[in-house]
Amino acid sequence: MTENVDGVTEATILLVDDNAQNLKVLYETLKDRGYRLLIANDGEKAISLARRHQPEVILLDIMMPEMDGYEVCQYLKAHRSTADSAIVFLSALDDVDAKVRGFSLGGADYISKPFQAQEVIARVKTHAQVIRLERELHARNRQLESDQSRILNAISEGIYGLDEVGDIIFANPAAAMTAGCTAEELIGRNFFALHFGDKDVPCHTMEQSGRPVQATCSQGIPEHQRAIVMRRLDGTCFPAEYRSTPKLDGDRLRGAVVVFRDITVELENEQALEEARSVVQAQRDQLAHASRMSTMGEMAAGFAHEVNQPLTAITNYARVALRLISDEPFDKDLLEETLGKIEAQSHRASEVIRRIRRFVKKPAIGKEVLSLSSLLEETRQFAEVDARNNDGGVEVFVAEDVPDVMADPVQVQQVALNLIRNALESTRSAGSHAPVEVSAERRGPECVRITVTDHGKGVTREDEHKLFQPFYTTKEEGMGIGLALCQSLIHAQGGDIGYERPEHSGARFFFTLPVVTRPQPA
Amino acid sequence: MSDIDQTVYVVEDDEAVRDSLELLLKSAKKSVKPYSTANAFLSDYSEKMAGCIVLDIRMPGMDGMELQKKLNDRHSILPIIFVTGHGDVPLAVDAMKEGAVDFIQKPYREGALLEKIESALEQDREQRKTLGEEQEILRRVKTLTPRETEIMGRMIAGQANKVIAIELEISQRTVEIHRSRVMHKMGTHSLAHLVRMILSVKDRIDAK
Repeated sequence: MTENVDGVTEATILLVDDNAQNLKVLYETLKDRGYRLLIANDGEKAISLARRHQPEVILLDIMMPEMDGYEVCQYLKAHRSTADSAIVFLSALDDVDAKVRGFSLGGADYISKPFQAQEVIARVKTHAQVIRLERELHARNRQLESDQSRILNAISEGIYGLDEVGDIIFANPAAAMTAGCTAEELIGRNFFALHFGDKDVPCHTMEQSGRPVQATCSQGIPEHQRAIVMRRLDGTCFPAEYRSTPKLDGDRLRGAVVVFRDITVELENEQALEEARSVVQAQRDQLAHASRMSTMGEMAAGFAHEVNQPLTAITNYARVALRLISDEPFDKDLLEETLGKIEAQSHRASEVIRRIRRFVKKPAIGKEVLSLSSLLEETRQFAEVDARNNDGGVEVFVAEDVPDVMADPVQVQQVALNLIRNALESTRSAGSHAPVEVSAERRGPECVRITVTDHGKGVTREDEHKLFQPFYTTKEEGMGIGLALCQSLIHAQGGDIGYERPEHSGARFFFTLPVVTRPQPA
Repeated sequence: MSDIDQTVYVVEDDEAVRDSLELLLKSAKKSVKPYSTANAFLSDYSEKMAGCIVLDIRMPGMDGMELQKKLNDRHSILPIIFVTGHGDVPLAVDAMKEGAVDFIQKPYREGALLEKIESALEQDREQRKTLGEEQEILRRVKTLTPRETEIMGRMIAGQANKVIAIELEISQRTVEIHRSRVMHKMGTHSLAHLVRMILSVKDRIDAK
């Protein structure tokens, strides 16, 4: 049974000697031991074979004509592809100088002639193993390095490795691209001088100690900043976001790693998004206002009636008062009473007008702390105009534990009024006189729920999920805007709106509003 | 003034409007009776009521138009002045078709309202007077004998005494006696007046 050197693939051993007899002995010694054996009888052949096969071990005779062993060794060590082979010199020269010279040229070992077979076998085995392990290690390292550099190259954010004073010792391609140069140009430059240096135009007016990354480099404090201004190599500026973490060698601070990126496009997108949001907000407010105006239009006859009632009474009382004065003597008490009635009716008329003005006020006045009981009561009075036309009624129930909410009163009233008017209309078309029930109750710690329930014709199951779609309507003259707008307005308040089938016939709509969060006492 | 007591019935749900209108009409020396709902008025209604109704067209519960229809069903002759709001003209037109005498839009001037009330009361008086006359004519017609009724019909148709005598195969003298009794019982001296009296109640005689 032949002894096999470890590993699956056989190690390659190059035997070099100008003496054929010696070669033969070596060959006989090492054959059948799991090695691939190559032989060369001069230096040039040896180099050529070594370059082609990269042997793990080369047994090299020193004394050869033309090119001696030292020269061959020098050559092999000088070339990358052959430098890692273990060179074991073979020579009859058993003097120290020769050995020292061999080692100094990169030789790994030395065997004196005449050699012992066992010694040759043992040394070859050891060196073959060492070289193989080294090669594996190198291969593994190369693999790791290329993985790391692939990752660093692939990352879209710029990465710097900095030393303690901020000199750049590493830069990935994204860093170079952001800085506007090649990675080689960055190495050795000072991070602070490059990116925050005072050129013609001061980009960054911060104090030296307050510069980004400074604290990480000098004190090991991690940093994260957004929308700072950095300079490119050509002196132009860009907005950036960065994170810096200290680079530690045990406990010693060895500088910092900086991950950064150019956020010009991000900032532009954010601004565009913000602008789009405010456009949407403005349009929602406009639509809400238009809708309120339209509601007012629909309710105009009702309001005219609401104002005409007190005006009619005032006119009548005024005429009575005039007639009383012309009496001789006149009834002072009755005149006072009549004038008092005139005053009361004037207030009544102005109250109606105040309600209308509050409702159509533009733009929406923004969120404030609201009491639902007073808001819903005012809405009820408002809706009474319709209740009159629709021959129906509105009843408001607000549970005692209902807290104040944070919302825009005009828009909430608009939603409530819309739901109540729909409910009244539906009740009337069902030929019912049952009042519309409006109630508010607490739902959990953060939410109040307002429901509007009617006993009208209700909503068919297939229509239920379409209720809040724009332009969906069951009304002949409807536009299908009302509920979709209500939804948009309630969402803007941070609430939700929906429909649920009541136990009885009819319909129930609800919406929620966030409870006022009071600041905790310190 | 008139010999019958006329009252202005105010049906109006709005308290202030009702109260002010009551005071106003009282200060104009009218007899006023206010009602806050159509139902309240309807349950109070009787044929003996005289005067006119000032009726709000829009009210919760039974509205003005419904009350008008119910009163028509009960052969009420009380004139109705509808009080309308802004934009209620189409309703008012319907009310006029149903026999309302007039309508007035809120807020109104006292003068205009009183004028309309005066003319409604006048119409009420006229109607009641005519109604009284017609009842008297019918009462008189009932006192006639069948023969006298027969002869009165021929007189109105314009037949001469001679023609009546021949057709009824009685003497001309007998016709003359019947004729004078008819004139006496009907309380007139003129054939023309008799014709007019009978024409005014013609429907009700035929119905018998």
